[in-house]
Amino acid sequence: MSQTDAAEPVANRTDGQGVSTTAGETVEETRPEWTSYEAGGETKFAVDDLDVHYGDDHALKGVSMDIPERSVTALIGPSGCGKSTFLRCLNRMNDRIRAASVDGTVELDGEDVYQDGVDLVELRKRVGMVFQSPNPFPKSIRENVSYGPRKHGDIETGLLARLTGRAEPDREEALVERSLERAALWEEVSDRLDDNALGLSGGQQQRLCIARCLAVDPEVILMDEPASALDPIATSKIEDLIEDLAQDYTVVVVTHSMQQAARVSDQTAVFLTGGELVEYDDTEKIFENPESQRVEDYISGKFG
Amino acid sequence: MSRATRTALVRDDRTLYEAVAGTAVGLSGVAFVVGLTALLGLVGIDDPVAGVGLSVALGALLLALGASVVGFGMASRFGFVDAAPQPSAGIVAAVAFTAIWGAVGAAASGAAGVGTGGRLALGAVLGGTAFAATAFPREDVGSTAPAGALAVLCGLSLLTGLIAPGWERALDGYNATLFGDTVVPAVVLFASLVTGWSAAKAYGGFGARGRNVGAYVLIYLVVGSILAVLVGLVAFVAAKGLPGLFNGFSLGGSGLVSWPFLTSGAGLTAEVAGVFPALLGTIWLVAGAVLFAVPTGVGAAVFLSEYAEQGRFTGAVEVATNGLWSTPSIVFGLFGAAFLIPRFGNQKSLIAGMLTLGFMLLPLVLITSREAILAVPDEYRDASAALGVSKWQTVRSVVLPAAIPGVTTGVILGVGRIAGETAPILLTMGGGVLPAKSAAPDVLGSFRLSASPPFVSNPSLLEATSALPYQLYALITAGLSGNIQNPQEYAWGLALTLLLVVLAFYAVGIATRYYFRRKLHQ
Ligand SMILES: Nc1ncnc2c1ncn2[C@@H]1O[C@H](COP(=O)(O)OP(=O)(O)OP(=O)(O)O)[C@@H](O)[C@H]1O
Ligand SMILES: [Mg+2]
Repeated sequence: MSQTDAAEPVANRTDGQGVSTTAGETVEETRPEWTSYEAGGETKFAVDDLDVHYGDDHALKGVSMDIPERSVTALIGPSGCGKSTFLRCLNRMNDRIRAASVDGTVELDGEDVYQDGVDLVELRKRVGMVFQSPNPFPKSIRENVSYGPRKHGDIETGLLARLTGRAEPDREEALVERSLERAALWEEVSDRLDDNALGLSGGQQQRLCIARCLAVDPEVILMDEPASALDPIATSKIEDLIEDLAQDYTVVVVTHSMQQAARVSDQTAVFLTGGELVEYDDTEKIFENPESQRVEDYISGKFG
Repeated sequence: MSRATRTALVRDDRTLYEAVAGTAVGLSGVAFVVGLTALLGLVGIDDPVAGVGLSVALGALLLALGASVVGFGMASRFGFVDAAPQPSAGIVAAVAFTAIWGAVGAAASGAAGVGTGGRLALGAVLGGTAFAATAFPREDVGSTAPAGALAVLCGLSLLTGLIAPGWERALDGYNATLFGDTVVPAVVLFASLVTGWSAAKAYGGFGARGRNVGAYVLIYLVVGSILAVLVGLVAFVAAKGLPGLFNGFSLGGSGLVSWPFLTSGAGLTAEVAGVFPALLGTIWLVAGAVLFAVPTGVGAAVFLSEYAEQGRFTGAVEVATNGLWSTPSIVFGLFGAAFLIPRFGNQKSLIAGMLTLGFMLLPLVLITSREAILAVPDEYRDASAALGVSKWQTVRSVVLPAAIPGVTTGVILGVGRIAGETAPILLTMGGGVLPAKSAAPDVLGSFRLSASPPFVSNPSLLEATSALPYQLYALITAGLSGNIQNPQEYAWGLALTLLLVVLAFYAVGIATRYYFRRKLHQ
């Protein structure tokens, strides 16, 4: 089933003035479409009417949603529907893609991250990201994990620091161990921290990237399919980690696994092909009783 | 699924046919190597082998090879062996054999004294026949018959003495003569290359596998000959230069090495004339040029690939850099002489030479660094940016380390070029033909601090200094007649020293690259 270009964009306003939508001629509406959702708790990210174009390609269409603090928000949807694109809007990594243009507002703690004069370095320190494909640096495992804190000057390890006695090898060691432990990688690599990270397996690299992100201690952690290359045991450890993180952090996680979304997330947003946010609600509601027929079809596997 | 049509994955039974074809490949290789050694003059072409001259023996070998190659093709064509030939040997082989046989025809008729028209006609006839013989029959015949016939022809002309060691022919229209002792090895090289390829195809049973084996043999023989030429060149210089280099060399009783050729000058007081001043001059020269060019070149490359907007400006810089790299070195020398010398005390000086060579090195460092930086995956930059690390820190801690091996490659290539340059230092650095030890630059020891600007001075940098390639050039133009004992030996020793210095710079560069590669990938 496909959205034709003629279909009107879906207006998913969270401000209460929801407009009902047309979802393409081919879809037979048996129920009203979802209109809005007010998540509980403090809002961390307020996204309003977000549009992203890659050249002429309209990748995200008028997405609005509030992401509450200290919770897990799952993003699900078919491949190519714009989940990664949405995630990249939150820490402005889309700025790095030449063809991308972003309209709309994204507020982090009430501050628009797309206004002029935003310090991207500061923004990304607060909003960390784990990429869809693992991208460790060609450095040792230890250096990979401590890279962020070192560059931020949180840990001093340089020659000058060593000469002046300000180096903190113990603190670095502790940080590396803690981060790797949380990412469920410590046991596998504790005896080879000085080996090159490119020598790790795909799944290990994925967890290393999670550890590298945790070491920076951001407020928000964006994870793009963090368990795509992991076996069930590592996956469940990562899921535990995600739930655990939600105590202190705001976690947004993209996943292709419905079960995973259902297990770990507090609220779930469903994107469908064409870059629209079709439904966003408490995870339970999405998986048990979605408002939109299309979401139900997608979740039950009828929608490709 | 019929099992019978499947080809076995493992060919365990080596047939007689394969054994014979393999031997033919081996013998072609032997003929090739012998031809090469004869061409390099390491063996004489009429040295006796088993009672006959080498040239005759090689002729017999080629004849046998040619005949057996034809035999392989026939054996396969008439079904005596199990091969998988394709319908045709292919257009590349056909064109190659057309050209070869066309040339053979033209040369043969020329030797027979036929005019231009006759040459063209015979060339065309033989070429056309070869084309037809290659392209139209099945692959097993097409890739053996023309090759075998060629080897038979070459073998016969050597065997019958048609081309013999004493043979010579003036080329009309050229002011040159061909001699037997270069033509015979060339014929052998060529014919053995062809039979080696053809026999290798037969060995592989033609078809895809045969082509694969044939290509391997061709590549190995050609690469081997290139390596042989390189090794021969170095060996030649070494053989000529070693006596000079080790003139007066001794391991002193106290365990100290005494190596006067490298440690003394060529002054009147020196017992053994040495090259110390020029050696030191070359080392300082290259060090200075690298110190100047690497930071500037890498800096510019970082700016151009990480900061500047890719567009017309960067494009123009790229074109200009490529142009600079291809600029003849004498032009750089003139620039140095006209621009730098007036600014550094109005005389030829070490620093003028350093800067001139630095300018020469700069474009290559810039080009290769830029390539290396662009080849660093964007993922690394994204990963770093997403961790909240600033651009400059990303460049410094991720991009540059990943680019170092590429940058080093550029510096290695560039140093190889500048270390041997003569023209630019002739114009900018000068120095004596036979400098005494006191003329050696003492760069480290001559820094002087002063209370007034520029606060440091280094008279040694401002003096005319000799370098190895320049000294060699000056010796040769002076007619190798300086007041040293054995100028010929001295000059060859000098040449060998230069070669070794360049190789030493290479070794340093390659070790650096190896170190950083390991760091990146292990
Ligand atoms: N760098 C880019 N340049 C151009 N178009 C892009 C780029 N990145 C994504 N797109 C387009 O935007 C749309 C959404 O892509 P996105 O990567 O956000 O999908 P996704 O939901 O993350 O898919 P997946 O589940 O396969 O990761 C796609 O149609 C894609 O072609
Ligand atoms: Mg994605």
